[in-house]
Amino acid sequence: MKRDFPTFLLYTFGFLLLWEWLRPVEQLTDTDHIETFIVFLIIAFALSYLQMKWFWQWLIKIVFVLFSINRFHYKGGFFHSGWLGSFSEDVINNLWSIVARNWNELSNEFRTLLFFILMWIMVYLIHYWLLRQQRIFIFFFMTIIYITVLDTFTVYDAKIAIVRTVAAGFAVMGMLTFFRINRRENSNSNSAFIKKWMVPLVIMVAFSVIVGIAAPKAAPIWPDPVPYLKAAGNKGGSDGIGGISRIGYGANDSRLGGPFIGDDTTVFTVESNGKNYWKVETKDVYTGKGWLASGSTTIDFRQSDLVPVLSIPSNVETTNETAKVNPAGEFVSYVAYPAGIQKFIDFQPNLPEQYPIQIDTNTEKIRNIGNVDYTVDFKVPKYQAVDLRKTTGYDPAVMNAEFYKRYTQIPEELPPRIKQLTEEVTASETNWFDKARAVERYFGNTEYTYDQKNVAIPGGKDDYVDQFLFDTKTGYCDNFSSSMAVMLRSIGIPTRWVKGFTGGEFLEYSRDDETKELYTITNNNAHSWVEVFIPTQGWIPFEPTKGFSNSINIDFTSGQTSTNTQTPAPAPVKKPEKKPLEETANVKKDNSFDIRDIWRNIQLFFKNEWKWIVFGGMLAAAVIALLYRIRGKWFPYLVMLRYRFRKKDETIGAAYLILLSQLDRYGLKRKENQTLRNYARYIDTFFSTREMTRLTHRYEQYIYNQNLPEGSWKETRELWENLIKKTIA
Amino acid sequence: MAHEQLNPTIDKILANIEKVMIGKRNVAELSLVALLAGGHVLLEDVPGVGKTMMVRALAKSVNANFRRIQFTPDLLPSDVTGVSIYNPKEMEFQFRPGPLMGNIILADEINRTSPKTQSALLEGMEEASVTIDGVTHKLQKPFFVMATQNPIEYEGTYPLPEAQLDRFLLKMKMGYPDIHEEIEVLNRAQKVPPIEDLQPVIDLEGLRALQQEVKEVFVDDTIKRYIVDIVNRTRGYGSVYLGASPRGSIALMKAAQAYAFIFGRDYVLPDDIQYLAPYVLSHRIILKSEAKFEGITSEEVVNRVVNRVPVPVQRLVK
Repeated sequence: MKRDFPTFLLYTFGFLLLWEWLRPVEQLTDTDHIETFIVFLIIAFALSYLQMKWFWQWLIKIVFVLFSINRFHYKGGFFHSGWLGSFSEDVINNLWSIVARNWNELSNEFRTLLFFILMWIMVYLIHYWLLRQQRIFIFFFMTIIYITVLDTFTVYDAKIAIVRTVAAGFAVMGMLTFFRINRRENSNSNSAFIKKWMVPLVIMVAFSVIVGIAAPKAAPIWPDPVPYLKAAGNKGGSDGIGGISRIGYGANDSRLGGPFIGDDTTVFTVESNGKNYWKVETKDVYTGKGWLASGSTTIDFRQSDLVPVLSIPSNVETTNETAKVNPAGEFVSYVAYPAGIQKFIDFQPNLPEQYPIQIDTNTEKIRNIGNVDYTVDFKVPKYQAVDLRKTTGYDPAVMNAEFYKRYTQIPEELPPRIKQLTEEVTASETNWFDKARAVERYFGNTEYTYDQKNVAIPGGKDDYVDQFLFDTKTGYCDNFSSSMAVMLRSIGIPTRWVKGFTGGEFLEYSRDDETKELYTITNNNAHSWVEVFIPTQGWIPFEPTKGFSNSINIDFTSGQTSTNTQTPAPAPVKKPEKKPLEETANVKKDNSFDIRDIWRNIQLFFKNEWKWIVFGGMLAAAVIALLYRIRGKWFPYLVMLRYRFRKKDETIGAAYLILLSQLDRYGLKRKENQTLRNYARYIDTFFSTREMTRLTHRYEQYIYNQNLPEGSWKETRELWENLIKKTIA
Repeated sequence: MAHEQLNPTIDKILANIEKVMIGKRNVAELSLVALLAGGHVLLEDVPGVGKTMMVRALAKSVNANFRRIQFTPDLLPSDVTGVSIYNPKEMEFQFRPGPLMGNIILADEINRTSPKTQSALLEGMEEASVTIDGVTHKLQKPFFVMATQNPIEYEGTYPLPEAQLDRFLLKMKMGYPDIHEEIEVLNRAQKVPPIEDLQPVIDLEGLRALQQEVKEVFVDDTIKRYIVDIVNRTRGYGSVYLGASPRGSIALMKAAQAYAFIFGRDYVLPDDIQYLAPYVLSHRIILKSEAKFEGITSEEVVNRVVNRVPVPVQRLVK
């Protein structure tokens, strides 16, 4: 066992593989201080590498372990008296617990100790596998299994981890194979041999990793099992709502589609005056596959503040209502609220007065209230159809250009027939409101079918909306809502996609308050719909999904403008802030989307141009074959050019060998048992020169004497070039 | 290797020898190889081809003490090594050195004498010392034995055991001169033999210095590998009963160093090895009796082996 660089590399890769086991632990369990364990691993590997006496190794490790346990679990410093005593007492108690199989009674200190011991053992095992047995496949395989299982069944995202593991694993296995061969053949591991092995290894690992990352992958045949099984056949299926498996809310609307099964787990109950839709968040970027948020701007507000969402303009007639929401689940990472929310007026149990409630002003998603009941004050608007119909086109005077652009975004490759269809459907209408209603109606009237099960997932280059509108015509709320939003955007009407819940099932009348009704909202009530922005009126909700209706209150009777028509002041449109305050998941998603986009283009290119590619490939192969056939004619020039500018005397080593193979190609083969001198005489006789002999003398000095006169290459180069030229002629 | 520049001293010695010897330059070269490498030569040849002349010329050229021992069946070891004789005047034994106490010794027809006497000579060659009556006498340095062996007479001879043959660095044949050379021999025979007029080129001190220089001739690892490859191959060769020993490898290397030195090089080439291998190795391998019946000679075996080992033409990369 040596302390050389390869061993160091082996240890590094071993450490990386082991680290992969630790990474998910931090995310999935409530294990803290994971960095301490990583430091422990580094120390253990380093000690093993440095081959310290076992006594020192044990001493250092034990001191580190004790120090860490002290830091985690005991107040007072390491040298504080008494903690060791209580710790050893604790250990003894825990040992008794183990004997009694009272696993739950193990103390945290003892668990930490056990974890350290586990790490210690693992380091030893890896050391054993790497350096004694020189086999690590089983461990590598187990690592892969571990990561993939975690990726499938937990929130751990192993996309990068798997790449890291594969790279490290293959590298270490390649190295170990090399060492095994080396040992078996008992050959000297000279650097050229190592290079011959390691360079292709590195290239192969890098190549396979890059291909693995970059190659287009088929969409999964089965949906991700956990969200599929657990989440929620929300009737319209925003798949993030029901599943607790994803961090945060709606982490994955970027790819919509696929079937859902029902789930009637109660999400929350509501005590309110009537049935409302419950918003959770909105999204503004349509990708062709689903929805993303264009960014994330989280701000805090207090309980006493108005909830900072774009509220209903003051010129719209409203009535105030309150509703009490009682979340049922343990995990509430989002807050469902009615459109027109004004304030949170009560929390049960009470939150502190200054408790900062977070809202993402970009998606209007409210977070971190926790599992508390809350009462919200909200406005129920009563729109006047006349006012809604006033807007017939985009007017920069009443609408911020950036805002307009943001909510009329559509992907560049959006099939044009969507716009054509929309124009057909809305042909008879002049204003935005009626156009929106026409589109909404369109889904009700035609052959579109509501179905949760037989829903297609858009393939590689399919557009989600396009597929639904023209091909499948079967889907649930996401299909309908996305389609409507995109269709309206295609003709320049600003829309956004809203996720949340429908009003739920009526349960009973409230016992406390006769006017209130109790509703239960289950995962099945998860839903998505559309909001259309109409200047001076705000965001108007629409419900395109078949079989659903949104109780929006619009007065079509009045021919006159409503009471508040005095001066139709421009709506207080907030300029959406787009400062990248935080690095958020949404931004990352944008990036990954871009990569996918590029890949789609590349795939498309290959599909369209494959004949040319095959032809070009064959042509290139033919050219290469031809070049190889006649390499004797051009290769020497290349070599001559290459060696002309070399200064080092050692150049003769490589140059002479090239000359030998060139002469071989020329037909003057050196027999294996022929000495160079002998061969040189033969060559010289053949060409009637003395150049080969002179050159060979230099080369003999180079290989058999390991000693060359200073500046000899300069002199010998001419001889060499002459000979090379002779072989080309 | 005619175009190579000989070491100037060696060149002069060879010229000296050529004054009295016609042709046979390679024998002279090989003898010098053995002398410079500190080894000994076994000449296998019939009488009358000029062995003595050559050795004497060589001895004269290096100003060495030349002795000749004609081995006969009744020669005793003390006749070779010397003997202690009682001196009545001084009342003690006095050592009278034998012919082995010279620098350059021609041991003629070594296979004619008894094994006892042979081994006295061989011991001296191996140990560079002889022990007589419990007293060890160091032999002079340089010490060079050229033994001859008549290959055609078997009656009344004691052939050297094969295992003892590897005391000799080289084994060679002198061979007859060609027609022109022989005419030239006759021409010279009409005149006074010029051997008495030869002038020494160097003295013994100079020769020892040359021997030291030979030891410093560079042998690259590729060459060592080549030597070992060749010697190794003799061990597994089909018609060989016993291959060359590691001593054979050492001998080949030392001989190659000396040979390179003669040609003015301070490093050894594969050519040197190829040239010397038959001389150095052929008496170190024992052929199977079938092979002997088939008429295969050990020289042929060595040549075949050499032809099968690839010449190293690239640096060993470390």
